Amino acid sequence: MFACIYIPDFPVEAMVRTEPLLRARAVAVLEGKAPLVRVVALNEKARRLGMQIGMTKLQVAIFAAPEEKSPAILRQRSPEREESAHSALLDVAHAFTPRVEDTAADMLLLDLAGLERLHGAQIKMARKLASRVGVVGLKGNVSLAANPDAAMHAARGFNGIKVIPAGKEAQQLGVLRLGVLLDAFEISPGKNLATARDREKQREQILDTLARWGVRDFHTLAQLPEHALASRLGEAGVHLQRLARGAGMRILAPCEPVSHFEEVMELESSVETLEPLSFILNRLLEQLCTRLEARALAAQELHLRLQLERRVTDEETPTAKELITDSHNMGHAEHILRFPVALRDTKVFLKLLQLELATHPPRAPVTKVSITAQPAPPRSAQRGLFLPISPEVEKLEITLARISSVVGERRAGIARLLDSHRDSFRMDRFTAAPEESQQPHLTTSDIAKQPSLALRLFRPVWQLRVKLAKGRPVDLATVGSSGDRAELGGRILWSAGPWCSSGDWWTENTKQENAGKDQPCPWNREEWDIALANENDGGVALYRIYRDSGNGNWFADASYD
Amino acid sequence: MRERAAPLTVSSGVAALDALIGGLPCGALTEIAGLDSSGRTGVMIAALAGATHRQEMCALVDASDSFDPVSATTTGVNLERLLWVRCNDIPRRKSGALSAKLGRLEQVLKVTDLLLQAGGFGMVVLDLGDIAPECARRVPLTSWFRFRRAVEPTATVLLLVEQEPCAKTCASLVVRLEREVVHMRDLALCNGGRVMTGGASGVPESNAASHAALLHGIRVRVEVVRSSIPSSAKTALGRDTRWMQRKPVQSAGVNFELRAKW
Repeated sequence: MFACIYIPDFPVEAMVRTEPLLRARAVAVLEGKAPLVRVVALNEKARRLGMQIGMTKLQVAIFAAPEEKSPAILRQRSPEREESAHSALLDVAHAFTPRVEDTAADMLLLDLAGLERLHGAQIKMARKLASRVGVVGLKGNVSLAANPDAAMHAARGFNGIKVIPAGKEAQQLGVLRLGVLLDAFEISPGKNLATARDREKQREQILDTLARWGVRDFHTLAQLPEHALASRLGEAGVHLQRLARGAGMRILAPCEPVSHFEEVMELESSVETLEPLSFILNRLLEQLCTRLEARALAAQELHLRLQLERRVTDEETPTAKELITDSHNMGHAEHILRFPVALRDTKVFLKLLQLELATHPPRAPVTKVSITAQPAPPRSAQRGLFLPISPEVEKLEITLARISSVVGERRAGIARLLDSHRDSFRMDRFTAAPEESQQPHLTTSDIAKQPSLALRLFRPVWQLRVKLAKGRPVDLATVGSSGDRAELGGRILWSAGPWCSSGDWWTENTKQENAGKDQPCPWNREEWDIALANENDGGVALYRIYRDSGNGNWFADASYD
Repeated sequence: MRERAAPLTVSSGVAALDALIGGLPCGALTEIAGLDSSGRTGVMIAALAGATHRQEMCALVDASDSFDPVSATTTGVNLERLLWVRCNDIPRRKSGALSAKLGRLEQVLKVTDLLLQAGGFGMVVLDLGDIAPECARRVPLTSWFRFRRAVEPTATVLLLVEQEPCAKTCASLVVRLEREVVHMRDLALCNGGRVMTGGASGVPESNAASHAALLHGIRVRVEVVRSSIPSSAKTALGRDTRWMQRKPVQSAGVNFELRAKW
């Protein structure tokens, strides 16, 4: 048993898939360069208005005039959208059966042998397939037959769902007009004709001949004597007659499932603000998540690519020629979201993208949006009843993104210590499922018994003015303001030091402002621990101060607390 | 009126403190107040070490970016389970609707709101230790009330480290830490710079090399300022804490040592 999924008016359906509101309107898709722009696809409503394939843009413009009761929508053909729609169709088919033939952009053939136990009877399978095609935003015909050719002709000829029982192909296909057969014949394998024009010419020739004979449907063609047909139309005629009788003529050529998940939308007019862009992102993400769901996958990474309009600066003269959009001068903005675990939640993705775009807004109006997902198997973890609570991964991702928008990038995460004597660290991404720690394992009793003195670091360090006596600091005061904190100063009651340390002297980076950042910077210091008398409360506070051996300046970098 | 059920408590990481207060209450706001070198950071890190050791996820909202990961690791904090949020004064972006510079305290409040809404954290610590008390007191009471309401139905310990108590009645437990003695190798300093043992007052005049002197640790006195934990709650030592009623200031306290790890 074979199934065929056929999407009539595929270029229109690809448009409607990303803009569902268009389904209620008459839509015509145009292709070609001016002045040879012609209609290449129409939906049923557009046909009812009187529009036809091959009309020029000027001819169809009257149907799209605003004074019309329900003006038609004219759209430029979008290969990207068609590719996305075709990939979505392949995802649906591959989720159903592994043996899928990528026959054409608008048509797929599926081998359903042995799937009855999994999906039920033939009619159930057909309905399930049609429903899954509908889920990805496409409206198509689904047919089931004993051979691929019969299934293909039925899908092209009958609207909706059609199941042809084995042995009744000739009878059921007989009512179809010959155009359906010749459309399918045109794409049949084994015809090594030189060009599409030759194929079209042959198709027209055969159709003319058969029309002159009064042959207009499958049934009449099937009744013609085979030898007489062969002598007049040659091998092609015999081939066509076999197809009209519902005989199988081809072997399925299965394709590999696609692993590229991309949704693209070219915008008719550029978008300048984030709010309308969110609606577009939502639509694309919905389609992407549906495709991932169809393949039982999730996304480990999301790549958002925005094509930006060329911005004419005030200094430039905005002549009409310059204002024409030049694709070569367009800029791009790319945003990458990486997730600690594979996710498949449109709302989460949308929120994260919104936060990302709010933090890094595009520099110019957006003309094209493309979202690509890096597929990965979805996480399959079951929480234990007695495990400690931990944040939900989806919520945590949004929370982290929001926190980053409040405190800045790389200001929230895990501190990972670096192998350095300078006690440096780097900030890493916080995840709800952390890796096993490399730290020495302490028991609960160890932790309870060993409360220890901790350091509170001053970031940035405070510059000090220090008085020395016999080489030891005896009095200090802060140089400049230290922000919200009370200033350091007073008599030093006790001091211990100096402990000399240095490092990174082998690096060439000598800029002090890079110290503590990712780039190593030479350092050489003499550290002292001091007890400072507090003039106000009469208490004692402990600090760590140091003298920079490079410039001789004193700094306070921590307090013991 | 029916007595409110005693909240669950978790270890503060300091045995003496647990004996006094019965642990840190879950689903409540606890304040730890103290001046510089009073041991509040040591207690905070000990509490985080205990929580991460229980495999809980923790968050530290660091108002003054003063957290030292090395000290934390030494005490036993599993940094993999600690979300460290470093508030700062640096303007975040040059353009856009949210370009206004947020103050550290505003950042702390916003981030804490987000963390409590997200849920799932065993302990959320707000470190306002370096924020001047007059600034911390400017935080509206409604914020603390909102935080308290957010954690009440959860098992999250909300810990506030500061110089002076500022959450007022929203805090279920307020403890104050004071350093009593600073222990060095050759002397001990009390408050006021009074020398308890060894040497003369002021800078030691001993002939020993100056780098031979070592800071050994501090002795901390902890006092319960206020506790609204119901009287049915028992301490870790099994004593009845019937005395721990809302207000007045408690005179009971304990001492413990915070040792330097070298």
